[in-house]
Amino acid sequence: MEIDRLDGRTPNQLRPLACTRNVLNRAHGSASWCQGDTKVLAAVYGPKAGTKKNENPEKACIEVIWKPKTGQSGKTEREYEMILKRTLQSICILTLNPNTTTSVIIQVVNDDGALLPCAINAACAALVDAGIPLKHLAVAICCCLAESGYVILDPSKLEEQKMKAFVYLVFPNSVLSNLPEGQLKVQGEPMEHGIITSVTQGAMPVDDYLHCLERGRAATAKMSAFLRKSLQPKLPID
Amino acid sequence: MEQRMANTWRMTVNEKKFIETALESGLRIDGRRPFDYRKLEIKFGKDEGSVEVHLGQTHVMAFVTAQLVQPYRDRPNDGTLSIFTEFSPMADPSFEPGRPGESAVELGRVIDRGLRESRAVDTESLCILSGKLVWAIRVDLHILDNGGNLIDAANIAALAGLLTFRRPECSLGGENGQEVIIHPPEEREPLHLIVHHLPIAVTFAFFSYESSVVIDPTHHEEAVMGGRMTATLNSNGDVCAIQKAGGEAILQGVIMQCLRIAAAKAGAISDMIKKEVDSYNTKRALLKIKRHSTPMDVDRGASDIGLKQNSSVDQMRVDEFSGHHVQRIKQECEEGIAKQSGDVESETKLSDKTLTNRSNEDTKNFIGGPSSWDPYSVGVDSDSLKASLASQGMPMPIEKQKDSKGEETRTEAKPEDAPENNNPKTSPLREAESAEQANGEKTLKDAVKAKNRKSRRKSHSSSGPS
Repeated sequence: MEIDRLDGRTPNQLRPLACTRNVLNRAHGSASWCQGDTKVLAAVYGPKAGTKKNENPEKACIEVIWKPKTGQSGKTEREYEMILKRTLQSICILTLNPNTTTSVIIQVVNDDGALLPCAINAACAALVDAGIPLKHLAVAICCCLAESGYVILDPSKLEEQKMKAFVYLVFPNSVLSNLPEGQLKVQGEPMEHGIITSVTQGAMPVDDYLHCLERGRAATAKMSAFLRKSLQPKLPID
Repeated sequence: MEQRMANTWRMTVNEKKFIETALESGLRIDGRRPFDYRKLEIKFGKDEGSVEVHLGQTHVMAFVTAQLVQPYRDRPNDGTLSIFTEFSPMADPSFEPGRPGESAVELGRVIDRGLRESRAVDTESLCILSGKLVWAIRVDLHILDNGGNLIDAANIAALAGLLTFRRPECSLGGENGQEVIIHPPEEREPLHLIVHHLPIAVTFAFFSYESSVVIDPTHHEEAVMGGRMTATLNSNGDVCAIQKAGGEAILQGVIMQCLRIAAAKAGAISDMIKKEVDSYNTKRALLKIKRHSTPMDVDRGASDIGLKQNSSVDQMRVDEFSGHHVQRIKQECEEGIAKQSGDVESETKLSDKTLTNRSNEDTKNFIGGPSSWDPYSVGVDSDSLKASLASQGMPMPIEKQKDSKGEETRTEAKPEDAPENNNPKTSPLREAESAEQANGEKTLKDAVKAKNRKSRRKSHSSSGPS
């Protein structure tokens, strides 16, 4: 049974992606990421001296500030900041610049569903633009579960509201390497199958969650390819 | 604390000297003359009332939203306008999150004074029920990039946002006429705000060296300047506000000269804003006409984008919407207006059935501007378009076949509450209409019609132009 999506996409089809780097002048790194109508602008200020009070001064610290489109920052924004901070901490190399703070500022330009994954993708692109050393990139996606048990990727806001449950998943991006295959497996599984972050909302059975994981992984392979292509430096044609 | 101080950007003595020396010869470091503005770009976002302004390297974003609230006790007949400024930490490393600093508060106050005290936005028209319900307009200004002269850029963004924002229409109903019914954008066209004039802020920077004055300082010049003055004027030459807070003392003659220059600049900038807003409104109006004239575009995907019947009109449409449209958009047509049936815009239109279901949800979503822009949501109601066209006194070239829904009688009665701000759209609409009429019958019409049958649940009568 095919699910009819409002905009005619198939359940596995993502919205059109767009990524622009270096959009701001003052920030050390900036990127804007669009998934369909959801648009997020991220800016990074590179390592600044000092860490906050509660942070470990022996490591670099990441500070995330989330600015909503309108209104005051509330609990939702704090939660997003916390999730984003933990996700980015796992991809940055924290031991390189101890006792420094890297600030990531997220500005929501338009919210049409899958806001947090869009923000994570934008933050990664902005970190690359700023030249912050990273272990690998992260790609984020939203999978939701319809009433009928169907898994749908990258919902719009209307779809998200109608779903029984949804989950935001962040995977490491796929690796392009010259090394032989065996080197990059962690305990027998390829590295990109690891889950960096998973945030669920609503109740879903375990099997459906595993379905979401599979679909999410497949989709993030495509997003990784897009991310790699858009982040490659554009060389001038001689 | 010491670490934060270590992070602030300080200008070197060499740079300061260089800027001052260059100004002695009337040269600015970016090559402008002393009274030249930087390049101004105004871009509109997806929602109505969202606008991004680039003034040189300064980026400011504005969002305008509206909400129904109780009015202030001493002004029971007036709506309210409030400006919220966010100096985002992404704009400048010295901007801290949390409590706004002095410059943030000053910026908010200057823009607020220019708009409120000069009564640029008509607040009496925002009143629905005197003493009980009025519209509260909220303008959120986000400073994204501090390239200098934030006040001017933020002011332009606020004005552009207020000019393009539309609030839902509401009417009084119920037994005693005390109930307020808010109409979703599909039922009735949202209304523009009434803006009487455009107060434009012009900022001058004073340098102690040879009393040089420049307009629109960059953030390097701001670090060197001795004092600053912002004059808010409109194109009639009325001074709405002047802000000169401290800094060095300036001769009276210099101030008068600045005001004269500001009057000229204000006229130029408000013309530019009006031009951008008009072209945006034209595009939107054309979009509405397109939506109603393309009921046959069912199952037309990106492959059809290659087929262009009316390239001149389509050109700006595709540029605007190709980025937003997904490959295959399923549609169910509601009306049949066959003006440009072969047109390739793949629009989404839901049938009446889903329209009534969704209108309940959409009533909750009206805050923040109508979503009639969203190509994935319900298309704009053709009835409201017809009514708005009729209200402008234009002949109705479009005859529509309607489902029996009783909408016809309702919209016929609508023309009398036509907002006067549709007038600037009249001429571009007229041009668009004539352009469409010139195209005549489409060759693909028959081919499209056959495809159409299976996905159109309602049986529409023939949709030929009459």
